[in-house]
Amino acid sequence: MNKQAETGGTVMNFGQAVKLLKFGAPLHPILVHFTIALISASLLFDAVGFLFNVSSLLIVGWWTLALAFAVTVFTVATGVKSRLNLPIAEGEARSFLRSHMALGLIFFGMLLAITIWRAAIWQANDSLSWWYLLAAGATAATMSLQGYLGGELVYRYGTEVEGDFRHLPEENRKTNPPSLYPKSAATEEGEKGGAG
Amino acid sequence: MNGNQFLALGAFDWLGILIALLTLFVLADAFAGHYRSGFENKSQYAPFLSGGLLIIASLSAVVFPSAAWTISALEIAGWIAVASGLIGFGFHHFYGIVKKPAGYGWLLHYLMYGAPQLAPLALSATGAMALVAARGFASETEIFGLGLRVALLIFVAVALFGAILQAAVLHYRGAFNNPAMYLPLTAPLITVATCFWVILSPGVASATTVLTIFLWLTLLTGFVGLGMHLRGFDRQMGGLYVAVFNWLEGPPAFAPALFAGFAAVGLVTVYLL
Repeated sequence: MNKQAETGGTVMNFGQAVKLLKFGAPLHPILVHFTIALISASLLFDAVGFLFNVSSLLIVGWWTLALAFAVTVFTVATGVKSRLNLPIAEGEARSFLRSHMALGLIFFGMLLAITIWRAAIWQANDSLSWWYLLAAGATAATMSLQGYLGGELVYRYGTEVEGDFRHLPEENRKTNPPSLYPKSAATEEGEKGGAG
Repeated sequence: MNGNQFLALGAFDWLGILIALLTLFVLADAFAGHYRSGFENKSQYAPFLSGGLLIIASLSAVVFPSAAWTISALEIAGWIAVASGLIGFGFHHFYGIVKKPAGYGWLLHYLMYGAPQLAPLALSATGAMALVAARGFASETEIFGLGLRVALLIFVAVALFGAILQAAVLHYRGAFNNPAMYLPLTAPLITVATCFWVILSPGVASATTVLTIFLWLTLLTGFVGLGMHLRGFDRQMGGLYVAVFNWLEGPPAFAPALFAGFAAVGLVTVYLL
């Protein structure tokens, strides 16, 4: 693939932009956002609907959770696929990865349980209970921990991050980047004098 | 859950789906074990034929519940799976213990390191559940002189107990190196006892409530096991990046799913039957 624009040039036309397209990007980091957003939204809709007795919010809460479960099946599957492609050696990052893998399926089991519970409530047209909200909250908390571990894997350890981007020219300079506020001439003189 | 249906499917529809899933998990682990030994014996292919038949028959019964041929097919596939599992148990016992050097003299060693003795009986368990499901699809209320609800609870209890025993042996081999390895000996064991409490005390609401709680906990235990077994693969050199090798040498990937699956059958029984 032609990466000329990435290594220094500028994208000048649509054709060059198309050439930069890469397929086969890891899907797991994409899908996790759906899982996180939908489950958080479901909990929020259900909690507000329950507390203020808004039936339309409760309906949305159920369907959001149903969609979250369907998406999460693929989130888990793509997570395993991502691991299969990751030549990660033993070390700190791998211990994060192991915890992320174990917690992923535990979280999925919790999600399955609350989805069945929520479906039963929806089917029977029952009202929600504090017990359900507690269980959904525990599931969301587990999801947050899982998301934190995944975030650390990407942003601290760079797993599955290709890192191929145009760097600022400043990166190759030996000096520090220019300061945001120009120093006064007097201060600069003082620094020079001190150094001499 | 409302009456006899949950999400527009009846108890036996759910049972059919669960039987197919459970059989798939059993076959996945059987494939790993038999592939590891190189399919040395032609009979090692048998579970894939009988299990495959059971998956097709159970799903056919869910899709065409009123067709007589699907019910007959499910019953036949159920019996074949029961027989296949029992014969497999005999083979595992003979080739895994009796024919090995020192045989019974090294019983504990072969229980831990030989062919998993109780694993084939999981196929028999799913076959037995298929027999119950076939009766249910045929609108009958009894099997072997027992009500279908009671029969299913017995099968769930026996199957769970077998899974607990097999897990206990293999986790003992692993020296219970992680506290989570004790989990199969907690909620699932209480579930087994509670199943018999419900069977022996029909109509006692508290027994059913306790059983329901522990069935849910057993279902979650299964997912904890799945996660921890996945972590177990990754504790080995190369982890899942060396997927096939570590899949064959690591903990059985789908064995914990049997706990979740049998618990799900129990929940269907409690809520829908």
